[in-house]
This record gives sequence, C-alpha cells and structure tokens, in this order.
Amino acid sequence: MTRVNPELLEEIRKYGAFDISACFNCGNCTAVCPLAKEDASFPRRLIRCGQVGLEDKIISAVEPWHCYYCGECSQTCPREASPGEYMMALRRYLIARYDITGISKIFYKNSYLQISLAAGLFAALVVLFNRYTGDFGALAAKIEMAFPVYVTLALGGYVLNMYRHIIVKPLGKIALTFKPKHIYETFYHGFTQANFTGCEETDWWRWISHLLVMSGYTLTLLISNLHLLEPLNERYTPFGPVSLLVWYAGLSIIIGGGSMSLRRVFKRRESSKFSHPSDWLFVTMLFLIGLSTLATHFTNVAYGPENPLLAQLYRINIAIETVWIILIVPFTKWIHIFFRPLAIYFQHIKKEAEAGTAFSL
Amino acid sequence: MIAGEKIEVDALVVGSGIAGLQAALDMADQGFSVAIVEKSPSIGGKMISLSKVFPTLDCASCITTPRMASVSHHPRIQAFTYSVVDGIKREGKTFTAAVTRKPRYVDEKECISCKRCEEVCPVCLPDEFEMGLGVKKTISIPFTNAIPQFPVMYPEHCIRCGACARVCPKDCIDFLQEPSPLEIKARAVILATGYETTPMTAKKQYGLGNLPNVLAPMAAERLLAPHGPYGRVLRPSDGKVPDSVAYVQCAGSRDKSIGVPYCSRVCCMYAIKQATLLTGSLPTADITIYYMDIRAFGKGYEQFYNNAKAMGISFVKAKVARVTEDAGHNPIVRIERQEGTSAPEEVKHDLVVLSQGLIPGCDVSSFHLGAELNDFGFVKLSDENISSAVTAGAGVFAAGVVKGPRDIPDSVVDAGSAAIEAANYIRKL
Repeated sequence: MTRVNPELLEEIRKYGAFDISACFNCGNCTAVCPLAKEDASFPRRLIRCGQVGLEDKIISAVEPWHCYYCGECSQTCPREASPGEYMMALRRYLIARYDITGISKIFYKNSYLQISLAAGLFAALVVLFNRYTGDFGALAAKIEMAFPVYVTLALGGYVLNMYRHIIVKPLGKIALTFKPKHIYETFYHGFTQANFTGCEETDWWRWISHLLVMSGYTLTLLISNLHLLEPLNERYTPFGPVSLLVWYAGLSIIIGGGSMSLRRVFKRRESSKFSHPSDWLFVTMLFLIGLSTLATHFTNVAYGPENPLLAQLYRINIAIETVWIILIVPFTKWIHIFFRPLAIYFQHIKKEAEAGTAFSL
Repeated sequence: MIAGEKIEVDALVVGSGIAGLQAALDMADQGFSVAIVEKSPSIGGKMISLSKVFPTLDCASCITTPRMASVSHHPRIQAFTYSVVDGIKREGKTFTAAVTRKPRYVDEKECISCKRCEEVCPVCLPDEFEMGLGVKKTISIPFTNAIPQFPVMYPEHCIRCGACARVCPKDCIDFLQEPSPLEIKARAVILATGYETTPMTAKKQYGLGNLPNVLAPMAAERLLAPHGPYGRVLRPSDGKVPDSVAYVQCAGSRDKSIGVPYCSRVCCMYAIKQATLLTGSLPTADITIYYMDIRAFGKGYEQFYNNAKAMGISFVKAKVARVTEDAGHNPIVRIERQEGTSAPEEVKHDLVVLSQGLIPGCDVSSFHLGAELNDFGFVKLSDENISSAVTAGAGVFAAGVVKGPRDIPDSVVDAGSAAIEAANYIRKL
C-alpha cells in the first residue's frame, strides 16, 4: 500500500531553491529533456509524485541520478517552476534519506553547522599537529592508512540503503544482474560521465571541468589513501612518475574546481544559478586539497624534505584531508560519485526483474 | 470617401477590425460623425482573412463584409485606409490626430478598380494576406473583397516598366505620389488596434519559422478558406495532401519563458474549429491536438469541443517541447505521453500548426493619451466593474483585443459598449 505524506513537498523544498508548486504538469520538461528515456521518464513524473506526497516512489527512484542538470527544462518551463533545480533538490533529499546516520539531513538543513565544524576541526588539527613532537611522517602514515577503513564503513551504509530502497523494497527480493553489458555501462558512465554530452547543446567546458576534478581527485585519493607520498622522508625528482601523478592531480583539481567555483559565482548557466551552502563547502574543500597537495609536493621538490616550510605545509595538507574524510566525504554531496553509476546499474536490475531474467534470492 | 487636409469629426476610431467597424457603426448610427484610421490598405482587420468562426462555423467574411460595406457607404463615416496615426494631441476637450496617408501610387479619385494594372504587372511578390502562401502582383488590389477596391503599388519591388501606366484606362497610375499628412480633430477616441499573433520565433525549440510545414494559425485559416491560396488544403513544402495534422496548443501563450504568461483565450477554440474544418477538407487525415488544458468557456464552446472529439479528432494532453523535421520536411513533435507510466515520445506528422497567442497589435502608449497599459502592453480599464471600455484617459475608449485577448463575440459586444460610452461622453461635453 502506498502511503501519502502530505509534508513531502515542504520537506523536499528545504533541500533546494525552486517553486515546484507552480507546476501544472504540462510535461514540457520531460519532453524537452534529452536524457529522459522511455523507461526513465523525468522530471515531470517525479514532480507529480512530490506534489501528491508519494514518498515511496521518490525514495525508490533512480531518475534523479540520470539528470545532469543541463537546465533546458528550467529554461523552457512555462511556469518557471525550475524542474532542474527540483531534480537537484531531490538528489540532496535522497542522499539525506539514504544516510543511515541521519547526519547528512542535519548538515543539509544547517549547512553552517557543517561549515563551522569543518573550520573548527581544521584549526584544531593544525594546532594538534604542530604540537606533536614525535615523527609526524609516521603519524601521517597512520592517519592516511585509516582513511580507507573509515570511508568504506561510511559509504557502505549508503550503498546498502540505496539498494534496499530501490531494489529490495519495491521488488520484495534481492535481485542482481551480471550481464557484462550492464556492468560495463555502469563503469563506463561512472568514469566518463558521458551523459554530460547527452544534452541538446553540450556544455563542453562543464564536462571537461568535471572530468578534470574527477580524475584529479581519484588520483589524490589513491595517493593519499595508499600513502604513496612521504614528503618528509624522501626528496622527489620533478619529473619522476610519482611527481607527474601529483602534478596532474593537483593541477586538474585546481583548474576544474576553480572553473566550477567561478561558474557558481557568475551564475550564467542554469546549473550554476542556485548554490546550496554544501556545494560551496564541497568545491572550496576540493580546491584546497588540490592546492595544498600541490604546494607540499612543490616545496619538497624544490627545497628538499628538511625544509621547515614543507613541514608546515604537509601538516596543513594532512589536516585538510582529514577534515575532508571525516566531515565531507560521508555526508552530503560526495556520495553522488557512487550513486550516479549505481543508479544505472539498479535500473538495469529493475528492467531485468521486470523481464524475469534478473538473478534473485 | 473624402480626403482632406484637415477634418473635424465627433469620434476617431483607430483600427478597423471587427471591433473598430462595430464601434464606428454604432457611433454613426446614433448621429455622430466618425473617422476611421486603418494602417492596412483595406478595412476589415484580421477577421476578414479568417475562414469560418467558432462555434457556429459561420463564414467569417459573410459576417465581416456587410459591416465593411456599411462603413464604406455610411454618410457619417470616413475611413482612411493605408494611413498611420503618428500621434494624438489633447487640446482642452478635443483631440488632434496627426495622420500620414501612405501613397498607393494610384489616383484614388479616378481609379475604377478595373484591375487591368494588376493583370499586366510582370512582378510577383509573396502575398501577406495569404500569409506568404500565395503570390500577388507588385501593383494589386490587396484581396478580393478588400474595401476600398484600390490597387496598391510597392515601389521597392516595382521595376518601373510602365506596363500598368500604359494599360490604365483612366490614366491614374501616379509614380510620383508622396505621403500626405492629414489632421483629424475629434472629441473622443476609440482605440481598436487589435492584436498580432506571437511570432514564429518566440520559442526557439519550435523551429524559428524555418520549418516549411510548420504553419502559423493564420496561414492555416487561409488554407481552409474557400478562396485561399491553393483552393484546398495542401502542405507548403511539396504540395502533398497532408495525412496527419497536429495542433500545438499554447505555442505562444501561458509560457513565462517567452514572456507571455497569460491565456490568449481564442487558441483552443480556433484550433478545434480548424481541426473540425479539416475533417471536412481532409476526411481521411488523422488530426491531433496537443493541449495543456482545453479552455472552452463561451456559449456553445463545450458542445463544440465535444463534437470535435466525437468526430475523431484526438486530443492529447501534452505540452510540445520541440518541433523538428526529418529529411522529407515532415515535422516531428516531441512530447511526454502522460498516460500509463509516462514516457517521452517523438511523433511524426505531415503538417503542424502552432497555436500562437495574441499580443498587442500596436503600442498605444505612443499616442500619449493617458490610457494606461498593463504589464503586457494591453490597455488597462479605469474600473473593470463599472465599464468594459472606459480607460484612464478622459475621452479615450477601448474596443476589442486592445484591452486583452478576447474572441469575436466579446469584441463585438464591447465595441458596442465603447461606442455608447463615447457617445455619452461627447453628449456631456
């Protein structure tokens, strides 16, 4: 039985700036959307679900993750109801709903709490690291090795919860698909975000910025979480393999993240018109990660591991990464990295289940 | 018709569509003298180019032509066609309108409307009366039942061959005519400047007027008119008899993104009317109307809508988001099918008509009469509850679509209202 939640629209409204009650369901948004497909029709259907309070339908929807917010629906909406921003708000709402800790919800609604916690934690860590008299390189190694464990624990809950809401509850069973095509598609879209080019007029710079940030960030993640860098113990050559990786990672985060931040400042595109404080925190932190990693590595290459400035920069770098891992990654925006490809995979499961060919328990 | 340098009348009517004609006749029949200024070469406005009217399916010209004739023969009405109002000045209790009469390059006093000039003229140009679907000669009478029946020459297209001047039996072709000024003094002004349809370029997703088989509704009216450009319904790109025709409702109204958030009030009904007429001219064609909601609000309208449904016209609730075409110029509309699970869909048709909305035909604020405009350029009434014609400017009245979109019956009714308000005003002066 479907339960109606009369407060649903009010609740979703808290996650974004939009006037969805103006919508009279003409369907222009769905028809104009180049990414809406026969088996994944959005945004109008989800707007209707929101308007009439069909919470279950929204929680089990994969469509919000198919939307790349080209903004054409918002530009052409006869009611200026901003359907694109509604999809964005739904993504935030779903992250909050899939978060087992409930902290994302608190952070989304009180963004200044997340921002001040992040600032406070950063300051505290810098002070702590500076007071630490032991071998800071060894401490950093321990911290960095702890990251993957923490992240896996934090993100596992999300993924399982999403799976529960999208597959297990509606289908009433555990279902999977192992078709190579589906798995390939999941990874292909996960790594390329090729759907950025699916819009009527491809915003190439937006796609390239996103790819730069994504690839640079993934590299940084590998470098730090696997503790590949020991800048206090070893001097790196400027064009050694590790250095090349760091240069690429740092520069692409700075260029991509910088351009994304500038777009949010100038608001020329529909997708950058509304920024939630959590978006600002996200891009700023990313930018700082890129900058501090780059600065640390440059100092190491230029002045050697004994340089006092390097010791300071490395402490700041580790502090930023720690704040990022503890406060940003498990809550709010970050998890979209997993949700977007997973949504593609889950949609394949749904289709297979409908056709009766899914592997199920 | 008397053309003078300066004339004095009781009322000046700007525009001679159905509202202007009705207001002028109602004034003149009460004994007032009236001057009509019309920018086109013929009186009759938009209605004279329509095929039929809803919901009765009466012939539009059969209703308009008698009124046009009455106006042109009325002893107290002077109609100045092919003339524009440059400005109106208020001096005490009279208005002085500066009017420019554009040259037809034909001596109107001598012309006997024999059409010989038109027959010999070698240059053709797109006929705007037929919405560009047909051609006319560079010197020609605007359309068959135009009043007055004087030809107009377009010097920018004329090749100065002189064929018309040689053939004219009254020697009335005058290549040297100049625009002539005219001053009209009046005690009251009735604005009846009507509307234009929203342009084909209003919404970039609808092809910007570059798709040959995507038509404006006025062009569809001409296709359906018995004396229309092709004499039957054919599509413009290749002359094929269309087998599938679609109407895109709200193509220029109720859309904040194009700056026309209001409902134009007539599009649902004219689309249903045209669709109904199409079932007669194309009995085997599939006709689809894509709508947001059908607003059939007037007397007999709902019945008309139900009849259309019963006749097999399919009504699909969907706002068309894009109109594109394939290699054969077949228009393709992209919609969301909302029945069932809902899905985007592309549907191919032979001919598509964009149901454009109504926007003001003229910026009447340029006359500086004190009549206020609303946000969309229509004239505001001073108090809608008291009168449907009195504007904020004393002695300035409004009739028809100049006040906002309305259909023909409503325009006729409130043209009568404007006439009686103007008459009362003049009597009290």
